[in-house]
Amino acid sequence: MLEDILQNRYAVTAVILFGVGFANLMLQQNLLRKVLGFNIMDAAIFLLLASLGYIDGGVAPIVGDRGFDPLYINPIPSGLALTGIVVSVAITAFALALIQRIYRRYGTIELRELLELAKKEDD
Amino acid sequence: MHEDRRDKNLRRRLTSWVDGEREPKDQTLFVMEQRPPRRARQTEEEFERKDRDRLQKFFNWYPAAAAVICLVMVAVLLIAVMNMPGFGQADNPINNEVSDRYLKHGREETGSENAVTAMIVGYRGFDTFGESCVMFLAVAAVMILLAREEHRPADADTEEPEEERADLILEQAARPLIPFMLLIAAYMLLHSETTPGGGFSGGTLLGAGLILTSAAFGAESAQRLLSRRQYSAVRTFGLLAYGLLYGAYIFIGANGLQNHLTRLFLLLDLAVGLVVACTIYGFYALFSRGRI
Repeated sequence: MLEDILQNRYAVTAVILFGVGFANLMLQQNLLRKVLGFNIMDAAIFLLLASLGYIDGGVAPIVGDRGFDPLYINPIPSGLALTGIVVSVAITAFALALIQRIYRRYGTIELRELLELAKKEDD
Repeated sequence: MHEDRRDKNLRRRLTSWVDGEREPKDQTLFVMEQRPPRRARQTEEEFERKDRDRLQKFFNWYPAAAAVICLVMVAVLLIAVMNMPGFGQADNPINNEVSDRYLKHGREETGSENAVTAMIVGYRGFDTFGESCVMFLAVAAVMILLAREEHRPADADTEEPEEERADLILEQAARPLIPFMLLIAAYMLLHSETTPGGGFSGGTLLGAGLILTSAAFGAESAQRLLSRRQYSAVRTFGLLAYGLLYGAYIFIGANGLQNHLTRLFLLLDLAVGLVVACTIYGFYALFSRGRI
């Protein structure tokens, strides 16, 4: 058990971080904190991807004339993490812009107050 | 005896129905009769009260349910992670023939020593094109949401914040810092084939330089450097250039002419860098002052 945890310490950390972020996303009432939770989830996924590609004693995958004696780390998860970062940045910016518009209109970003205000507006 | 007769009766009816001798009994009327009588319409207050009750109930059980869902998900993920192959071993299934090929043949096939760059811009360039589109669209969406109209400045809450003089410390610190930032950004953009870095990190640094200019010397000087029209032009040009160049790269490269095109990597990286820099700077400008 402990052996397993130590063996996969980065992945375990990533899962715990993911859980923290997900709990934030679900339980916080403040929209800004929800976005923060989302970002924590993103960070967990990047950590997992980066740890997946690592090889013990590996070097950065810049293939010169050095040959393959010290193994290179896997370049694919690095590229995938890049995709993830870009999407995360875009989503975060869009969400924050929406939140700013919501605040300008309703004067609050607490979810419950917003629900009540929106309901009142509906009538 | 009784059962038997009913059974026989049923069979007879079924066979006669199969033979087409009689229509099945029309049951619509029967269903109509069975339907419970319609209740009187709820009054407004009753409806509202019920609605509020439902919302209250939802809010009561929501935190518990959310916590349970979180815990279950973490537990499932932990079990999955426990069964993963060990960290950092060279024979893990993720280190398969794909990454092997990228590492071994990336240099001759794309002309880039950096396998990550070779993968991002060369092998999986359409993925990067998609990313550039995502960023382009993100800026467009944020612009739609936040850009303030220029010909209607009288509104109370869209009032322009007063152009205050920037912090002296920030200004003095930014003056020597910005040239170095731009220098490193240029280096990253131009040398992505042989060193870590590339379009994304170089572009981000370029955008950071623009942001620092804007923060330290005021929006005016940043706009002198990159006006709104120029900004839009650069952003669109970057995306278009990437799309066209990569399309050319793919189509020509597929015919075995790729060796002439190794220098194209530089241009591709520059195009990505332009898009990224514009995205980063655009987010800052739109969030801080509502216009580019």
